[in-house]
Amino acid sequence: MTTRRQMLKSALLGSGATVVAATAMGSLGPEAAFAAAPDQPEPGVLDPDFAEGRIRSIKDNTLMVLGSNMVFHQIRVVDGTSLWKLGPVGFDQARPGDGLYARGVRMPDGMLAAESVWLNIVNIKGHVRNITNEKIHLDHNGKDVLCHVVPGRSVAVHSDAPPSADLSLLRVGQHVQIMGAWRPDTNEVDIATVFSPH
Amino acid sequence: MVRSTPTDPIDLLGPVQGEVSWFCCGNAWGPCSSTGKGACGTCNSGSLQHAWPNTSDACWNITRPDRCGDALSRRTCGFRHRTTSLCGGGSIVTTIADCGPQTDLFCGERSCCGATCASNRLIDLTPAAYSRIASLSTGLRPCEISTG
Repeated sequence: MTTRRQMLKSALLGSGATVVAATAMGSLGPEAAFAAAPDQPEPGVLDPDFAEGRIRSIKDNTLMVLGSNMVFHQIRVVDGTSLWKLGPVGFDQARPGDGLYARGVRMPDGMLAAESVWLNIVNIKGHVRNITNEKIHLDHNGKDVLCHVVPGRSVAVHSDAPPSADLSLLRVGQHVQIMGAWRPDTNEVDIATVFSPH
Repeated sequence: MVRSTPTDPIDLLGPVQGEVSWFCCGNAWGPCSSTGKGACGTCNSGSLQHAWPNTSDACWNITRPDRCGDALSRRTCGFRHRTTSLCGGGSIVTTIADCGPQTDLFCGERSCCGATCASNRLIDLTPAAYSRIASLSTGLRPCEISTG
C-alpha cells in the first residue's frame, strides 16, 4: 500500500506526474493518517520530520522559516498540505512573522515537504483572571494573555460534552486550557477551543 | 508471590488510560517564549519528549494526580513512555523532559473519541511528539500510556 507520505515524497521528487493532493489519497481520515506515521526516530532527540519557527519570507510555495533555535528551514507547501490558522485555511493566509509548527517528510536536500502546517497555534493553560463576552484574561505562568472570543469560531469543551459556542459557563478563577491562534508580536490570542474540566 | 495492593501505582499494573495534551518548551515563539527547557533542562518543542506528573517529590507536590485517584510511578528524566492515541491508534515513544501536567487542576475531565473515553490528564507531549499521533489542532485526546 502506498502511504500518504510516500505519495508526498514521490510527488516532490518528480516521479509523480503531478503534485498529488493528500486529501485525494483514498479513505485516510485525519486520525488514520496520523496512525499511519512511519517508524519513529530515537526518543528524546529532535524529530527530523518536524519544524518550528517563524516565517521570514514566502517564495512561491515555500516558507522560509527561522527556527527559535536559529536553525533555518525551507518548508514546501503542496496541494495536499493541510494548513491551520484558527481553522483550516489556504496557503494565502500564511504571512511573514507568523509562528508555526510543521510536520512532513524531510527531503534529501533538507527541505521539509509539509503534510501539515499549524500557523500561530498555541495550547496554553492558566487561570481565568477575568472574563467578558468578548475576552478572557488568562493568567499563564504569571503573565497575562488576552484571549479573544471569535464569533462563529470559538467554542468551549466542558469535559466530554460536545463543543459549544456558549462560553458563559466559564468562571473567574477556574483553570482552563486555551487552544488558539497567537496574534504575532502581542500577548493576544484568538480562541479556537477552551477546554474546561467541568 | 508478590501481590499488588490498592495503593500500587496504576501504571505498574499495566498500561494506563488518561488524557494527553501538548505543551511547548525550549526556544519558542509567542506565549511559549518564556517557557524554558523544563525540569530536566533538556526540553525542546521539536524533540520527542514528554512531561510526567511524578518526576520528583517537588513535582508530585504540584501535579497531585492522586487527588484524581491516579497513583503514578516515580519516573525521572530520560525515562521512556509509549503514548498511544485511543482515536487513531498511532503511538509514539518519548522521554521525560519536564514535570507535568498539573493533573489535579483538571480532575474528572474526560475526553472521548466516539464511545472511547479516558479521564484525567496524565501526560503532556511536545508538539513534535503529539503531531505524530494527532493533529495539534485537536488539543486534547484520550490515550493509553505504557513503558516504552
